[in-house]
Amino acid sequence: MPGAGISLKSYLLARVALVVPTVLILLTLVFVLMRVAPGNPVSAALGGHVPPAVIKQIARQLGYDRPLYVQYGVYLWHIVHGNFGITITDRRHVTRIIAVNGAATLELTVAAMLVALVVGIPGGLLTGRFRDRPIDAVGRLFGIVLYATPVFVLGLLAQIVFGSVLHWLPISGQASPLTEATLQAHTNILVIDAIIDRNWPALRDVLRHLVLPAATLGLVFAGVFLRLVRVNVIRTLKDDYIEAARARGVRERAVVYRHAFRNALVPVVTVIGLEIALLLSGAVLTETTFNWPGIGHELYIYLENRDYAAVQGIVIAFGLVVVFASLLIDFVNAFIDPRVRYQ
Amino acid sequence: MGQGKPGWRVAAATLVLVAVAGFGGVARAGTDPQTPANTLIDGTTDTVTNIDPSGNYNYGTDTVDREIFQHLLGYKPGSTVPSPVLATGCKADATVTEWTCTLRQGVTFQNGDKFTSTDVAFSFERLIKIHDPSGIWSLLSNLKSVTTKGPYSVTFHLKQPQSTWEYILTTIAGYIVDHRVYPADRLLPDSSTQIGTGPYRLVKYAPGQDAVFKAWKGFWGTQPKVPNLIITYFSKSSTMKLALQRGEIDMAFRDFTPTEYASLAKTKDLRVLKGPGVAIRYLVFNVTRPPANSLAVRQAIAYLMPRETIANRIYHGNVTPLYSMVPAGMPGHIDAFTTVYGKTPSVAKAKAVLEKANVKTPVAITLWWTPTHYGEASAEEYTEIERALDASGLFQVTLKSAEWATYAKTLGAQYDAFQLGWFPDYPDAEDYLVPFYGTKSDFLSNGYSNPKMDAILGHEKAATSTGERMKYVREAETLAAEDVPIIPYWQGAMIAVARPDVHGIQGTLDPTFIMRFWLLSKS
Amino acid sequence: MSVALGSGRQPRPRWLRGGTAIGRALRPIAEAHGFARAMLWSGAALTAFFVVLAIFAPWLSPYGFDQYRSGKELFPQLAPPSARHLLGTNVQSTDVLAQVIWGARTELMVVALALLFALSLGVPLGLFAGYFGGIFDRVLVLLMDAMFAIPSLLLALVIAFLLGSSIASGVLVASLAITIIYVPQYFRVLRNHVASVREEPYVEAARALGARPLTILIRYIFFNVIQTVPVLATLNAADAILTLTGLGFLGYGVQPTQGAEWGYDISRAVADVASGIWWTALFPGLAIVLLVTGLTLLGEGLNETINPVLRQRATAKVEFEATTLEPGGP
Repeated sequence: MPGAGISLKSYLLARVALVVPTVLILLTLVFVLMRVAPGNPVSAALGGHVPPAVIKQIARQLGYDRPLYVQYGVYLWHIVHGNFGITITDRRHVTRIIAVNGAATLELTVAAMLVALVVGIPGGLLTGRFRDRPIDAVGRLFGIVLYATPVFVLGLLAQIVFGSVLHWLPISGQASPLTEATLQAHTNILVIDAIIDRNWPALRDVLRHLVLPAATLGLVFAGVFLRLVRVNVIRTLKDDYIEAARARGVRERAVVYRHAFRNALVPVVTVIGLEIALLLSGAVLTETTFNWPGIGHELYIYLENRDYAAVQGIVIAFGLVVVFASLLIDFVNAFIDPRVRYQ
Repeated sequence: MGQGKPGWRVAAATLVLVAVAGFGGVARAGTDPQTPANTLIDGTTDTVTNIDPSGNYNYGTDTVDREIFQHLLGYKPGSTVPSPVLATGCKADATVTEWTCTLRQGVTFQNGDKFTSTDVAFSFERLIKIHDPSGIWSLLSNLKSVTTKGPYSVTFHLKQPQSTWEYILTTIAGYIVDHRVYPADRLLPDSSTQIGTGPYRLVKYAPGQDAVFKAWKGFWGTQPKVPNLIITYFSKSSTMKLALQRGEIDMAFRDFTPTEYASLAKTKDLRVLKGPGVAIRYLVFNVTRPPANSLAVRQAIAYLMPRETIANRIYHGNVTPLYSMVPAGMPGHIDAFTTVYGKTPSVAKAKAVLEKANVKTPVAITLWWTPTHYGEASAEEYTEIERALDASGLFQVTLKSAEWATYAKTLGAQYDAFQLGWFPDYPDAEDYLVPFYGTKSDFLSNGYSNPKMDAILGHEKAATSTGERMKYVREAETLAAEDVPIIPYWQGAMIAVARPDVHGIQGTLDPTFIMRFWLLSKS
Repeated sequence: MSVALGSGRQPRPRWLRGGTAIGRALRPIAEAHGFARAMLWSGAALTAFFVVLAIFAPWLSPYGFDQYRSGKELFPQLAPPSARHLLGTNVQSTDVLAQVIWGARTELMVVALALLFALSLGVPLGLFAGYFGGIFDRVLVLLMDAMFAIPSLLLALVIAFLLGSSIASGVLVASLAITIIYVPQYFRVLRNHVASVREEPYVEAARALGARPLTILIRYIFFNVIQTVPVLATLNAADAILTLTGLGFLGYGVQPTQGAEWGYDISRAVADVASGIWWTALFPGLAIVLLVTGLTLLGEGLNETINPVLRQRATAKVEFEATTLEPGGP
């Protein structure tokens, strides 16, 4: 056994320390990107009834002409205090948008992640175990084709089949307008809110609205998990200790299920972390297709309206989520798999 | 070798069964959720900025405000003449610079506060003071001050005589708020309760999602026929269409694509209701820069404008060709462009006018349009115009687009020819002429300035009788067609699509462009 | 003891057997069998199909991508598939088949450009950072990691949105947006690979012999690590197409007047589908799925054949002649 390794504690500390420069770079990156853009934010708020000269005047009023470093300083100061700014087009606090719409995105991505895991992991285990047999070919093709289908195409298909043709499921929104209007918003995660209120009709309505978007987004990523788990199963099955187990006379089935599968699943945790960024990307398209009131959808609208303040705040929020999620995943990983620390 | 079944197979099978059962249980719709009879759900693709009436200048927010707040004067369905709402009558003095309104008594706000003249003065003053970036204060540019005389009389002191001041009182700038609730110098945040005198109270507002209204007992007017109103916001019209077809919403107003309207018209169980359109679409030229600085060039384009094709092919008949800036149905409208240029495009006449002015053809010109603000069909609209101009052999058109935020602040400053739309602040011809043709308005930055036109508009504003005003309106329209700094080409119908159990929509579709939800009922 | 090759196996051609670099590189591919082989060749076929479409678009496509009439006759709007319009027409009265074929050109051009930029930026940076280390390495790693933190479509969206107002060519805008997403990937892979290869004995030896860093970098390390690039590039190409069509779907990147773009076509077709018009959405959608599938299959196939972990060598059946085992004997 290797002697002096890095203890869990020092690894964690080092990892946390890494977050600060990462976040700083992220913030600066976003700031620069937003400022580099031509045009000014004020024109978005207008209904086309106001002369351009007035627009310029108003922009000056709102401080978009102060020197860049001053704006940068103010920007950082605000963020550290949890103030992500106020949108220009509809005067909402970005933090509020993140809280409310972010909850909707959270609901969607968690459900999608569940779908992806439930479909992808067993699929990966199966295809890895029976490599090169028909089931492997089918499973892998399935995974590949699903990933190759853009989420908006899959969403469109789902809407047509389950919405227009079969009339089984609703194809837009987080809940029917009636439910949305009458359900109390405690956490803004409607599934939880409905459960808190023991409002079973509302829960059913909310779940029905969740099915298609979550399945669409989830299936696309199921392919990713399938391929990952499959590769790991194959790799693990080749490992020495598996050979050793076989040589000891352990039954093939036990070899596969007890040793190989369990170890093949370890990287899944890492991948979940990596996939969060992708999942958020996919969420933008899914939310736009299904009119899901999540933060990706809001971003799309604010981009259209050139609301820099909103875009800036939302992109930062996304970035921070990914940074901290990666941190969490790394912690979990380091805990599970000691090899990670020795880098 | 193995004892018993491998656990995983059972587990997998169970998982699959559970998933299918769960999906099935959740998916079995039976019938779609019917909206209850006491609730009207409207879908729209409009957006809302902020609800405080002093801080917005767009149609979507106005719709919300209209349920909560009221004006001094309004429009009875089908009429374009201001009639009493919170004011029982308004009169101008001899100089037409002082307008005095008598207020209705016994009106209370939704929180029980009494409505008095203080609220009126406060509402107008704060709108000017807040000077919101949306520019709504520009509607009150002619207002010098507001004074009150007792609790039920208000006088507006204008800078210039204006016989159409009553119309201004009906616009989006004329909402009355409770002076005890709203700050005098800044907007009330959307998270606070909005208090007005209108037929509905706003009980819940989720930005981008929905606005929920409830009728309230102390309302001075007739109670709305449907006690609960929900306005649901959609970002894509296709999702709104599917929601309408599924019965998740009762009606939809603004805005579907032309293809969607055509399809909805064919759907049994849904009715497409149309009313006169007062929204217009037009092409603006910067008359100070080549090539549009040449009158002949502008006239040639006016001769070639493919109005019928656009109305029929692109919009499937949901818009009608427009031959003057003042739309048909508005008092004072004349088909000025037909008189000057004829009803249908004519390549021969366009050619002739260019030859006469010794303009070398093909003339290179760049047309600008904006992709989303005026609907997706703008792309096809301008492609059609490009095709018509190129096909004549007289023009070489380049199409360019810029998305709205950049577009709106650039307009004539950089664009030589550009698309714009307009719907009126108030239903009067004046609102279609003064902002566009007056030298001082500069809203378009297109450089048009004709002292003759300014004189006509000045006469119109100062005129004391409607007949006299209309005379000047017609003169202005004719001159506008001759000078042609702008080519209007369609006016849009006001279209709502509804399920058969919603009644009263047709009655509210009129040139004022107001959807009066409180007059609708459900069976 | 002698060994005889099992029956049925031809000896390999000489150039594949022997010591040439190409032979060494291509050998895994020739040895591929089973599903990996199927993937490789089907992926290659699909990709080749679209490449042919892209290159020969002007000759293969019946009409131009923005052509709305032939001669005097205007194309109908939203017409179902017919003899004159094999895949129908869309809301702009352009032929759907033309959109698909020209779209192939747009997609592949943008992706090729983006990969080119990303490689020329990411590979050198990765090489230098990995080999020389130090503060340069640290800073770059941090920067790239921070960029990784922003979800890729979002980053591309924001960049396309920003560049779109100053750069006229939508193709360039889209390429740049995609480039910026993929540079961190190449950088990271290259850098990590170089960092580990740097410690290899043969590199140590070269250094001990006094070879200059640049020589080491180019002669030893570059060719060693470059193997991972083709697989990564192919898989990235697949992903880039998805990002590009995603951008197009949201309205950014290539504008309809500049070229056919499948994602944009689908965004216009969404409204059609709700009205029962299926051909404007189905064919571009199918095109995306097929092209991305093809690229992914190609990439996965390459991965299986080249990647030593997954590679299954072609096994030759070996027959042992019967021998008697005698201690002390041969």
